[in-house]
Amino acid sequence: MDLTTGSGPELDETGLDSLQLGEDIRHLIAAPSENASSFTALLELPANQAVELLHSDSGRKQYPNLTFPSNTALLERAAIFSVFHSSNSADSSSVPSNSSSKSLEKGSAVKCEQLETETYLDSCQPLVSDPTVDNSAPNARPSSKRKEREKKVKAASKKSKSESSQQEEEKLPYVHVRARRGQATDSHSLAERARREKINQRMKLLQELVPGCNKISGTALVLDEIINHVQSLQRHVEFLSMRLAAVNPGMDFNVDSLLAAESGSLIDSNFPNMVMPLMWPEAQVNGNRHQFQQHWQFDSLQQPVWGREEDSHNFITPENSHLSYDSSANSASLHSNQLKMEGRMKLHQ
Amino acid sequence: MASNQSNCDVSSQQEPNQLRKKRRKSTQTTESHLQNDGTGEAKNQPTVRWRTCTARRIYSSKLLEALRRSRRTTSPRGEKTREVRETADRVLAVAARGKTRWSRAILAKRARLLRVKKVKKPKVGCDRMLQESEKRKKLPAVERKVKVLSRLVPGCRKVSFLNLLEEASDYIAALEMQVKVMTTLSEILAVAGGGAGVGGGSSS
Repeated sequence: MDLTTGSGPELDETGLDSLQLGEDIRHLIAAPSENASSFTALLELPANQAVELLHSDSGRKQYPNLTFPSNTALLERAAIFSVFHSSNSADSSSVPSNSSSKSLEKGSAVKCEQLETETYLDSCQPLVSDPTVDNSAPNARPSSKRKEREKKVKAASKKSKSESSQQEEEKLPYVHVRARRGQATDSHSLAERARREKINQRMKLLQELVPGCNKISGTALVLDEIINHVQSLQRHVEFLSMRLAAVNPGMDFNVDSLLAAESGSLIDSNFPNMVMPLMWPEAQVNGNRHQFQQHWQFDSLQQPVWGREEDSHNFITPENSHLSYDSSANSASLHSNQLKMEGRMKLHQ
Repeated sequence: MASNQSNCDVSSQQEPNQLRKKRRKSTQTTESHLQNDGTGEAKNQPTVRWRTCTARRIYSSKLLEALRRSRRTTSPRGEKTREVRETADRVLAVAARGKTRWSRAILAKRARLLRVKKVKKPKVGCDRMLQESEKRKKLPAVERKVKVLSRLVPGCRKVSFLNLLEEASDYIAALEMQVKVMTTLSEILAVAGGGAGVGGGSSS
């Protein structure tokens, strides 16, 4: 048996099983499936075995694509192997991903992608974890593997370095991620990677909020933009509060129409433009809409008519104080003549 | 945004209150649909929270109330701007419902002011800080900007970078809403005040 010769010395007690494994592998090679993950069944064996097998395959160019479907029988056997070689399992469970990456770098003829290794690991994880946990592998191992998986899920969302992996990811049912080549997989770097992912997510959100930030790349420049935006918004608020303070004496009247006009106003759509030039069309529109809105307000807010008329009388008192503020609201005075008619209509309603 | 506003217009003009609530819900769901992470946290995203019609309505009404109240109570000579701004900020913080750090910090500022008068102590480590600045201790560029940002967002000076980013995004969304509401409010007040005043004067 080609495949079992390499594994022979280590698997003396399980010679029969290894024979059957070889048979299964051959059987599976004959019926290739699209799920190219079972190559990694071999990886559940101790690391040195996997390396040997890979090296033995390097001379063989018959099946560059070792496509083994994830057979449950195979999974069980792999589990059994990992149990029997529990002395090595401490190394093998944490190392397979690394060793596979390294060995793949060496074994150029073997075209199996890294992803296959991980997918198999993930798919057989539930089966393997029990025996390994029971026997000798410390609990940290499966949990670290699971963490690896979780972290890798996020890492794969970034541009991966091997382009074929992206195609693989779309085919496979699990969302897999993996460590990129040569990246460490210990808990610290995983935690750091998770943290970096979170930071990148939030930066993306901020980039969407701040206009013009989408094209900029690099944290420092994006932060610059964010700071500028916050400062400009705060200055805007300051300026608007100054205007509001100036307008304030005219505050005691007709709040309902103000609320209605504001909530449904077209001014929101014109927000990015300068405030001043917009006063013209908006003012006229507002005047026209007052009629519509006052009917609606009357129903919704149930304001008595006499209350409104009382408010309208107050227009006279703030009039003088308001006209004195023309310097701060120039356009308002310009429109005041335009709005004479509309104002009169409002009063009479 | 445009669809959101058109929905608002439709709702405010044509439909009675009950249907208006449904419309509001539909706008919210469309917004959340765009932003859905799949974790059910769609409504908590700052872009959704601060861009709904409801939020603007609530903020504008509360702002008017607060401004009227502040008008009645105090009227400092030269500091109307600052008072209006602080009122607006406090109403914004209230509208945030205390879920974010900056909103709680804004409200706490006022509470602290009312309880104890601010006594400005000279900084103890002042000399040391000057010496360090002379040595030109240059932190990495990103960290310097993070510090600046943390100073801009209220209540976020000693906060981790991750949380700072989250607070900043919520703060920016809230500020944008505040600017919009205050713009429209000031325009309406100016226009309505001007038109009504002149109309009242001419009719009498």
